[in-house]
Amino acid sequence: MTTHTLELKNLTKKIKGKTIVDDLSFSVREGEIFGLLGPNGAGKTTTIRMIVGLISITDGDVSINGINVRENYEKAMEQVGAIVENPQLYEFMSGYKNLMQYARIMPGVTEERIDEVIKLVDLEYAIHDKVKTYSLGMRQRLGVAQALLHKPNVLILDEPTNGLDPQGIYDLRNYLRLLANNGTSVIVSSHMLAEMQMMCDRVAIIQHGKMVRIDEIQSKEVEADVKVHFQIEGDVHQAKQVLAEINPELDVVESGNELIVQTADVKSIAELNKQLVLAGILVVGIQRKTKTLEERFLEMTKKGGDLNEMAVPVNE
Amino acid sequence: MKWLSLLTNEWIKIFSRIRTWIFIAIPILIIIGVAVYDKVTTDVEVNENWKQELTQTMEEDKKVLDEAKKNNDDEFYIDMLETNIKQNEYMIKNDISPYEKTTWQYMKDMAPISSLIGLFVIVVASDIVSSEFSKGTIKMLLIRPYSRWKILLSKFLATLGFAFVMWLVVIIATWLVGGLAYGFGGIDQSYLIVSDDQTVKERMVVEYVFANIGVEFIELTALVALSFMISTLFMSNSVAIGVAMFTMFAGNTIVMLLANKDWIIYTLFANMDLSTLIDGQNQLIKDLTLPFSISMLAIYTAVMLAITFTVFQKRDVKA
Repeated sequence: MTTHTLELKNLTKKIKGKTIVDDLSFSVREGEIFGLLGPNGAGKTTTIRMIVGLISITDGDVSINGINVRENYEKAMEQVGAIVENPQLYEFMSGYKNLMQYARIMPGVTEERIDEVIKLVDLEYAIHDKVKTYSLGMRQRLGVAQALLHKPNVLILDEPTNGLDPQGIYDLRNYLRLLANNGTSVIVSSHMLAEMQMMCDRVAIIQHGKMVRIDEIQSKEVEADVKVHFQIEGDVHQAKQVLAEINPELDVVESGNELIVQTADVKSIAELNKQLVLAGILVVGIQRKTKTLEERFLEMTKKGGDLNEMAVPVNE
Repeated sequence: MKWLSLLTNEWIKIFSRIRTWIFIAIPILIIIGVAVYDKVTTDVEVNENWKQELTQTMEEDKKVLDEAKKNNDDEFYIDMLETNIKQNEYMIKNDISPYEKTTWQYMKDMAPISSLIGLFVIVVASDIVSSEFSKGTIKMLLIRPYSRWKILLSKFLATLGFAFVMWLVVIIATWLVGGLAYGFGGIDQSYLIVSDDQTVKERMVVEYVFANIGVEFIELTALVALSFMISTLFMSNSVAIGVAMFTMFAGNTIVMLLANKDWIIYTLFANMDLSTLIDGQNQLIKDLTLPFSISMLAIYTAVMLAITFTVFQKRDVKA
């Protein structure tokens, strides 16, 4: 049985008669990275604010580790670490003193744990400098550090890669994966599709405060995603016939002077090449190509139906 | 008790800021400055002939008083002149020198410095809630496993603690500086007051000093509650500082203008200057008494805190 650490049931937020979040329900499993994807203003941040109690819940319920946030806020929040929008820190204090502020009030944070977290986010060199001297990326990392201090089993990060450089994003992704493997549920929100696909196990797409769909993100190495391009000198059609004879079930597409075959297995690529050569076909090049993330997203949203009006910038 | 850590945090935040130290340094520098200036400029010979000098002042005051009566001047002004004359007469008769200065007299003279402390306390109290909203740090604080009222209470107590500590530091500094400049004696020293029936009485300086220390704690509490409420309601420290300063300083002017209205004694600003009620000198509204004003302040403080906590508990944080 899968354990759910965070559960939203019919969560709704209305502000002055306007529905910001509309009947949102989903459950996050233990040890998964769950993404909230949607354009700006879709209600991602409002949802997160309701989960952590920054704004009141108009209707519905949020449970964290089975504890209803509306009924027992203090108990529910003990196991939660979060960054809501940008991590805003006390500029007039050093990074270390900022961490101490949170270490002091959270249960069970030792000095060793503080050092461990600082090392993890790679801020040892600047931890005793005042936060006002920090770059956006450093602030983001300090924000992550404060959220992790008490080893929460639900980690909520709103736009966590904001301001991080590619190395920082890569490190964060790896670290989140490590946390998830150890049983932490990570909830990240973003309007950046590429990021979500690389980071998450499942993604909930939200638009106008409503859930559009929840998608499982398949691992990168699934067969459907890798295509092998054989560049053929001569009759491409004949080459296709050859491959079809060997394996009639193989998905082969002609494209200019190329044959595109869907397979990820290296050995079968070599085997196909051998057969082509034996049949006298001139193979001048073989290339493995992974589907671009954009292609994947477009495919995903086509399945989803009415997502046409949703603009999700891929590169910002 | 984890909850106490919230208080520690607020305390650390207050003292991590340079301005806090400046706020503490300024009154101390003033205290030292006044004593030094007084020591350097006071002419000892004049002081020894104080009876002559006082008689002269008295004669002049009498002339001015006659003039004022002829012109039908402000009653308050005439009262003040009469009081001065009576006091001087009494001093000459009973051989009490106005220049006999000790650390207790110095503490009494420096009592108005409490307004400066009030001002700095307003700044800190106004800032402690609203700046967390304007900087967005409130989010990081409110997502902790603590009810909102606990977080707000920790802020209130930390500010109150800061105000009290600052006041005590200033009192001790005044006593020390006064003692070094004028000697630590004079615990039995008295000063003169003129009561409503125009008789002159002696009162202990020490009595005044300690009463003033006490009432200032009460005033500071009301002031913190006021700034706290405004800064929570408007989430803006400039509005909070403005309103609180207005109550504290412009309040006196308003009270003077409306002194003849019956309801004025129930307003907050009429009750904000407790020190004038200690011996009833220069009191603007004769109806006020110390117990009455303290009760009024207690009611105001309770109501303001109730509003603050209710609003804070329910507020949607969008910072």
